[in-house]
Amino acid sequence: MSNYQEIISQYRPLLEIIVYGSAVALILIGLYAVLVKKHLVKLVIGLSLIDSGVNLLFVGVGYVTNHTAPIFSPGFETAADKMVDPVPQALVLTAIVIGFAVTALALSLVIRLYRHHKTANVEQLNRLRW
Amino acid sequence: MVVSPVHLIAAPLAAAFLIPLLNKLYRDAARVVPGVVFLYNLSVSWILVNRVFRSGPIVEVIAGWKPPFGINLVMTPFSAVLVMLVSFMAFVIWLYGFRFKRSLKGGVVMYYEILQMMMAAGSLGIILTGDLFNMFVFVEITGITAIALTAFYRDRDGAEAGFKYMLLGSMASVFLLLGILLIYTQTGSLNMAQIAERMPAVATGVKVTALIFLLISLGTEAEMFPLNGWAPDAYSQAPSPTSAAFAAVLGVAAIYALARVGFTLYDHGTVSGFLIAMGFLTMLFAEMAAITQTNLKRMLAYSSMGQMGLAMIAFGIGSEAALFGALFLIINHAIIKSLLFMTGSYFIYNLNDKRLRALNGIHKRLPYVSFLFALGALAIVGFPPFSGFWSKFYILTAAGAKQMMPLIIGILAVTVIEMTYYLRVIGRIYFAKEESEPASHKPSIQALVAMTSLAVLIIVLGLYPDLIAGFLHRASMFLLDKQTYIQTVLHLS
Repeated sequence: MSNYQEIISQYRPLLEIIVYGSAVALILIGLYAVLVKKHLVKLVIGLSLIDSGVNLLFVGVGYVTNHTAPIFSPGFETAADKMVDPVPQALVLTAIVIGFAVTALALSLVIRLYRHHKTANVEQLNRLRW
Repeated sequence: MVVSPVHLIAAPLAAAFLIPLLNKLYRDAARVVPGVVFLYNLSVSWILVNRVFRSGPIVEVIAGWKPPFGINLVMTPFSAVLVMLVSFMAFVIWLYGFRFKRSLKGGVVMYYEILQMMMAAGSLGIILTGDLFNMFVFVEITGITAIALTAFYRDRDGAEAGFKYMLLGSMASVFLLLGILLIYTQTGSLNMAQIAERMPAVATGVKVTALIFLLISLGTEAEMFPLNGWAPDAYSQAPSPTSAAFAAVLGVAAIYALARVGFTLYDHGTVSGFLIAMGFLTMLFAEMAAITQTNLKRMLAYSSMGQMGLAMIAFGIGSEAALFGALFLIINHAIIKSLLFMTGSYFIYNLNDKRLRALNGIHKRLPYVSFLFALGALAIVGFPPFSGFWSKFYILTAAGAKQMMPLIIGILAVTVIEMTYYLRVIGRIYFAKEESEPASHKPSIQALVAMTSLAVLIIVLGLYPDLIAGFLHRASMFLLDKQTYIQTVLHLS
């Protein structure tokens, strides 16, 4: 076992706190932006922060201490029990692509809103009400 | 013909991406191709529905990965009924919108057709998939296309409605992901059958948290109060065929996803009270809001929410009879609300005014369309000769069998509100004095065929509900039978 893997397993609790903590922090910062900020672009940034937080959470959940990347390459054909869980990684790839599409769509809507209203303040967009 | 459930999703997706190329070869390809694809889908789903009802559920293994690994499509009698409904409605809505924006040249119509097809493909995917994450992907496909269609007209209200929908939709998708993550950490699986099998062993706290996340996200899509702020704006700003598709395609898929989570992933008892309470609140709030509306399409949108609320109540009651009523209601709602949006948008097209006030005396100018609108309005309220009567009747009977008197009184009271505003619109159309100038846009022949066939369906189902009752009974029985679902998917021979 190499030196750095020992160090990782030694600091495993700290690592967990860092990964999960930053994921939760990202989600909370994003939520704050979505709920409090008034600028349309900041809302979109908030949404994409939330997405990143959830993605980080997914990758963190799939991690197994001292295990390697889930790739079957020459010399590693029988190493399945030494690999981290590949499913969350596949899910995150999909979620990243979807998040990208949503962000692009949102930004294009922001541009269109700005052209019509000449403002990016969400409080001044109130033509549609209950 | 060799068919499988995959074709239902693959055909519209492939065609949607091929349309830009085909459009270069033939000018009207964008208008014709969706019809061909939807007709193909309709025949495939007809064959598959027959097969499902004759010889049991179909489990489609994709790329050779047997469940619980890989992605699999499951076509149970319950999903088969809804697949048939969505395929049929997608075809009728295409027919109705065949001459959509005839005057506009270029790619505009192409984008509309592509998005409509993707929305149908995504909705069919939600209904067919047996994999939780795959469901998330299809929810996102329908969500993104629905947002793009909401903002289809490049005016300020369209963009605003689209942005609102996008904010709520992406929050919903975050919650869906979190719910899936929690379930995956606890059960180690994404296959719905395997999750259902392992769910009883999961700690209650985690289970309930995941359920709340799933209900928040799917409730947003299914227009559950108070997460339905997007719906009236999206319905009223989208092009008219799209409003019909929101009710008949998107809504069906959303309520299916809610039912699948409530009945298969979880035990029905866990969600029963919640669904009844939220369904009733949704219904009450929606009909109260509908009666104050001055805009025709917004009024129809709120009425749509009310129907979704009633469907949630029926799923919440959860007896076999109630599920039968819920399925009947979903079918009725898809058919009748589409008819109302189709006829209503011809009023708007002629008057250039979405306000109810402008409808005064329009029956003189559009007699046939007015007749169809009145028929649809009476049907959705539940007057006896029409199909809408049976769904309300069966749901109320089911509630009666479970001794839920307050619920019955509540539903009837809300129905009175519903009746008030629909009759008011009919009154305006037929008995108010005419104010504005003569009609300039007669309905196209395709639109007339589409609207007439829906109206005929309403009357036929109203007079002979037994035509579909047998199918619906077996479908609702199968939804209740969780063990068979698990066995069929997990123990493929």
